[in-house]
Amino acid sequence: MADTKIEDLSYKEASQELERIIRALESGDMELEQSLESYTRGVALVKSLRERLDNAEQQVKILVKDMDGSDTLVAGEAASTDDALSI
Amino acid sequence: MSGWNLTGISAAPWEHPGAAPSAGAAAEDDPNILSVTQAVKLAGATLDELPPITVLGEVSGFRGPYGARGHCYFQIKDESSSLECIIWGGVYKASPYELKNGLKMRFTGKFEVYARTGKMSFTISRFEPVGEGLLRQQVAALAEKLRREGLMDEARKRPIPAFCTRVAVVTSLSGAVIDDVKRTLRRRNPLVELICVGSRVQGEGAEAELIEALGRAAAIEPAPDCILLVRGGGSFEDLMTFNDEALARAVAASPVPVVTGIGHEPDTSICDMVSDRRCSTPTAAAESVAPAATELAELLRTREHRLATAMASATGEAASELARASERATHAIEARLSREALALRVLAERPCLRRPDETVLRRASELEQSADRLEAAMARGQERLRSSLERLLVRFPAGESLLATPRADLARASERLVRAGRGVCDARSSELARQAASLDALSPLKVLARGYAIAYDGEGVATSAGSFAPGDALRVRFADGEVSGTVSAVAPAAASAGA
Repeated sequence: MADTKIEDLSYKEASQELERIIRALESGDMELEQSLESYTRGVALVKSLRERLDNAEQQVKILVKDMDGSDTLVAGEAASTDDALSI
Repeated sequence: MSGWNLTGISAAPWEHPGAAPSAGAAAEDDPNILSVTQAVKLAGATLDELPPITVLGEVSGFRGPYGARGHCYFQIKDESSSLECIIWGGVYKASPYELKNGLKMRFTGKFEVYARTGKMSFTISRFEPVGEGLLRQQVAALAEKLRREGLMDEARKRPIPAFCTRVAVVTSLSGAVIDDVKRTLRRRNPLVELICVGSRVQGEGAEAELIEALGRAAAIEPAPDCILLVRGGGSFEDLMTFNDEALARAVAASPVPVVTGIGHEPDTSICDMVSDRRCSTPTAAAESVAPAATELAELLRTREHRLATAMASATGEAASELARASERATHAIEARLSREALALRVLAERPCLRRPDETVLRRASELEQSADRLEAAMARGQERLRSSLERLLVRFPAGESLLATPRADLARASERLVRAGRGVCDARSSELARQAASLDALSPLKVLARGYAIAYDGEGVATSAGSFAPGDALRVRFADGEVSGTVSAVAPAAASAGA
């Protein structure tokens, strides 16, 4: 996991890896060099997660049945940004 | 009282005089006048003639079940009338339904009159719900059945991830509900990816469509973290779709955990009971699948802080370890140095180093004393020798003459001895030379040198050809060496043997 590019991780995977890194660092069992390496990775994960959180846009898809009966995912509309209540 | 005969009963039991002996004083001669007992009996008998009837009414004033027998007493009523009712304990226990005030039900039974009070009551032999009451009872019965099967056990319910990032929503795509879910999650946590799976949620065949939609949602690749099964509020009948047994079983059997939000707060459907998480509304269900983005941001801040703290503590620990090591090294070297310094001080305290000239001075003074003593002793010795010498010098000339004669004798004797010794040695020496010459002449080596040879057999020197046989070993010695061989033939007369 630690070798995967951060951009290729999902938010959740990145978040979980960050937690693992912190726990490992907190345990104090690491060599100093390894600590530095993990810390660097942790900082990069924090940066990526924050960016994703700040720039997240809702993804909506609709599962539709094709003519042959198989299911396909097609892009759907995200919720409108109009905050008026719909009900 | 001709009006009694409403039911067309013509022959009543009290018309026989002997049939009412206990009627007491009230019984007059007029057969139209009855005792109370007779009247109550008449009423009882008249009502008994009626076939069982079924009445629709609402329960009120319900009391019971009482005691061990479990009889129940209450009224049933409608807008303008009410009726006293009794259900015997045995009947009530055998019924699958429970009674409580306000329930509208169908009661089947007969009228009876209690002889002691003359009061009429409706004794119920069967009762069952109608309309929504019936539906609710059926739902309750189904819920009980599924509960007994264990479909509602907490242990069976699957955990739903705290943060579902991929969520399938099974509901009508045309209603406001899907928009509510989308809006709720966009606002709460836009990282959640929504996949909408449309299905009708009420009406004929909606159950089957929902079951299929659940299956399709669970089959999406990659699988969603959970399925939201949601529907807006509606009447009890509208929500009945979600009380369907097959749909409830499909919810329980779904390979992906199901979160329900059906109707409004007080509504509870069977699907809610068997789902993995029940929420009171679609919006609440949507909110329950993921933490708010603000919480994530807060969590991220906390983690960032923990990361920094952990790193600082890791480097801090390394630094303090280093500091401790350096301190220990300093201590060690200081201790060593102070030990060495102490040793040096002890050495320096020794007199040889503190006053190095003292020894030399002491030795010098000792030497001086010795020199003084030596000088004195020498002076004394010289004095003694001189006086001895002087004494001897007086006697010396006389001693010189005494030695002259013995010295001359000795010289003469020595000369004679040399002469005599030389004579003895000369005579012995010439005798020895002569004997050596004759010994040399006789030596066999001389004979061999002249060309002769000596033959040896196995035992020693062979003096006869007869001592050999063909095949024997033969050794021949010459002056300058030996040869060895084997006898090939023996010729005893003039012929000679050879190897």
